[in-house]
Amino acid sequence: MANETGGITRRDFLKQGAALGAGALVGPYIARAAFAASRDRVTIYHSSVADSIHPYNHSSSPIYGNWQHVIEPLVEFDTTKKDFVGVLAESWEFEGKRWVFKLRKGVKFHSGAPLTSRDVVFSVDKMRDTKGGSLQAPNFKDVTEMQTPDDQTVIFVTKQPIATFLDRVENRFVVSKEAAEKAGDPWYRNLVGSGPYKLVSYQRGGNMVFTRHDDYWGGKAAIKEVVFRKVTEDAARLAALESGQADFINNVPIHEVARLKRHPRVRIDQIEGLRMFFLTMNVGFKPFDNKLVRQAVNYSIDAPSIVKNIFDGIGYPVNGPVGPNVIGADPKLKRYPYDPKKAKELLTQAGYPDGCDVQFYYSAGRYPKDREVCQVIAAQMVKGGFRVELISQEWALFWGRDGVNGGKLPFYYIGRGSLTDADTLYDQYFRTGTTKRCNYSNPEFDKLILEQQKTPETKKRVALLQQAGKILMEEVPFVPLYNLADIYGAAKNLTWKKRPDERILGSDMGIK
Amino acid sequence: MFIRFMKIWVGGAILIALFVCGVGAPWLAPHDPQAQTLEDRLKPPRWMDSGSPAYLLGTDNLGRDMLSRIIYGSQISLLVGTATVILAGFIGCALGAAAGYFGSTTDEIVSKISEIFLAFPFLLIAIAIMAFLGQGLFNLIFALMLSRWVQYCRVVRGEVLSLKERDFVTAAKALGGRDFYVLLRHVVPNTFSSITVIATFAMAVVIISEASLSFLGLGVPAHIATWGSMLSEGRSYINRAPWLTIFPGMAIFITVFGINLLGDGLRDIFDPKLRRQR
Repeated sequence: MANETGGITRRDFLKQGAALGAGALVGPYIARAAFAASRDRVTIYHSSVADSIHPYNHSSSPIYGNWQHVIEPLVEFDTTKKDFVGVLAESWEFEGKRWVFKLRKGVKFHSGAPLTSRDVVFSVDKMRDTKGGSLQAPNFKDVTEMQTPDDQTVIFVTKQPIATFLDRVENRFVVSKEAAEKAGDPWYRNLVGSGPYKLVSYQRGGNMVFTRHDDYWGGKAAIKEVVFRKVTEDAARLAALESGQADFINNVPIHEVARLKRHPRVRIDQIEGLRMFFLTMNVGFKPFDNKLVRQAVNYSIDAPSIVKNIFDGIGYPVNGPVGPNVIGADPKLKRYPYDPKKAKELLTQAGYPDGCDVQFYYSAGRYPKDREVCQVIAAQMVKGGFRVELISQEWALFWGRDGVNGGKLPFYYIGRGSLTDADTLYDQYFRTGTTKRCNYSNPEFDKLILEQQKTPETKKRVALLQQAGKILMEEVPFVPLYNLADIYGAAKNLTWKKRPDERILGSDMGIK
Repeated sequence: MFIRFMKIWVGGAILIALFVCGVGAPWLAPHDPQAQTLEDRLKPPRWMDSGSPAYLLGTDNLGRDMLSRIIYGSQISLLVGTATVILAGFIGCALGAAAGYFGSTTDEIVSKISEIFLAFPFLLIAIAIMAFLGQGLFNLIFALMLSRWVQYCRVVRGEVLSLKERDFVTAAKALGGRDFYVLLRHVVPNTFSSITVIATFAMAVVIISEASLSFLGLGVPAHIATWGSMLSEGRSYINRAPWLTIFPGMAIFITVFGINLLGDGLRDIFDPKLRRQR
């Protein structure tokens, strides 16, 4: 449209000027409409989204939430009822060394095929396939056999009676055997489940799109499309929420909460979280093979000060090996007091009079303010006589076979989510051979864990867990730190069921 | 005289101030740059309301003194800047001079290698190398050096190509001078003015690159104060505590401005084309 001299004609100028003026008038209204979440699509910016399209290649609460859109577990822990409720299982029975699950009738996969016990067995086999990339195998290490007497019944036979078995199957999602076998190699290429949503696409680096499955057995969800994007940068997630690009975000930085509470289109939801944060010392590495050194680390860290100053008091330090609301907590146990002098003394006793070197690993961006917390911890440890090298790794590397789960990291900052029962933590991290995360081994402790797993009466079980907790606090292969509140930001018109287990489910959401 | 060399005076003064900061950091900084006082976190600069007299530029998110961190941060900028410029300059000049002087196969090989390096954006090579080697001061210098030597190489090669045809070189050769001697005594010294100009500009770029890499978390380890990592850590507090980003940002800006000014002034003097215009 430009004339020969390269400028613009008067007519063009007037046209463009008018368009600009109209845009300036209408723009704010369009922008305001864009801020509200819509029934057609909810966009969630989250700091952790599945790192792999293999649905069992992780063991992390928010990522269970991703996959639960498509595939579902037998049972689920209801945090309000504080008990397990059936999802794909209708009922279950604990019969000594057998767990018998009756499947719900009328559940159909997205392909239309009915759910059968064979699908469950197929899925569990894939979960146990460590070489195939699963990180969920330890949950079934005590299972010797799986039986399918009929289409609706699955029986797990275990080496010894395990009263806490439901805790291990609560996040084990069932895929359609038929669809997986049809997909060929890899079997998860065409993932078909029974969940309220279907998987539309997955992109490496955490970009997942789900679309509603209208014939869901539990009733149609309100939101049509759910998009997850992995954004590890706090400020970027926040900016996206404030600009209307995202409808929902996790880990809102605490220092922004006061400002956001006044924001016209954003709502802040604060929930007391189930995740406990702690530092694991892998006893397979020097100097952590020495109990005195591990105690010295405990003495040198001031968790209450971190909660108060870094997290503005939104959370509480853990006394003892687990928080007070966890089954198996012992109110009599106390955390190690902050005492750097004592830490130095212990180091000297342990044979490190000039201090000792430790490498401290974490994955920046994964947890709230992790970068700051780890710097504070490192500085506190320096006062306790350690020389600390702080190393941040990308999550997949940190958590994978060359990191935590391969037993390759000597000392790291980690959070255990969905922690409602001390057994989960004790078995996963500290019982001999369950995982390589800590390499701690103590026959007495193992015995107590096995014993309580056999015990169906909660009271007796708690007593055994408390004994185990006492051993842990003496031997301290870890430094228990704190529980924090989970802080979510949402578009004001978006409703959801607030969950303390870090799962964000499209099926829990609605539009006001 | 002052007006004519103003760029050099101002640029030089800034560079000297930077050197003084870097070398004198232990005496100049009022606090230990690593010392955390969690109770004093996010204190605003002294002149603002609720500012604390103990902290002139306020404190950061872990209660560390901003002024001390900026002063100590200059050490990293300076060290990385100088070391990279010298190392890259040495390698680049050596290769460039060899390529220009000996020509043929030597020239071919050096030119091809430098073209490969030139094909990638400078920061991208640095990021790739850092991701491969991991964090650390020496890795950082190495990465920046590898991505920086080409500029020297190209310029020196070009200059040497024209210098070696000159009569004084022919004369030196005719008197029996060996290649190495002629190159070192008669050719290379004549490229010094160009090298000086490139070096100043390169230093500015390297300082910014170090800040960029530290900002991306690929520079030196987190606990060492650098301007880039201060910016990176402070940016999530940009609403609540803007001084966490403003001051390190200003430090980078002033430093790079000063060095560029100096480089510009030096070019005014050395560049014959510009000299003639005046």
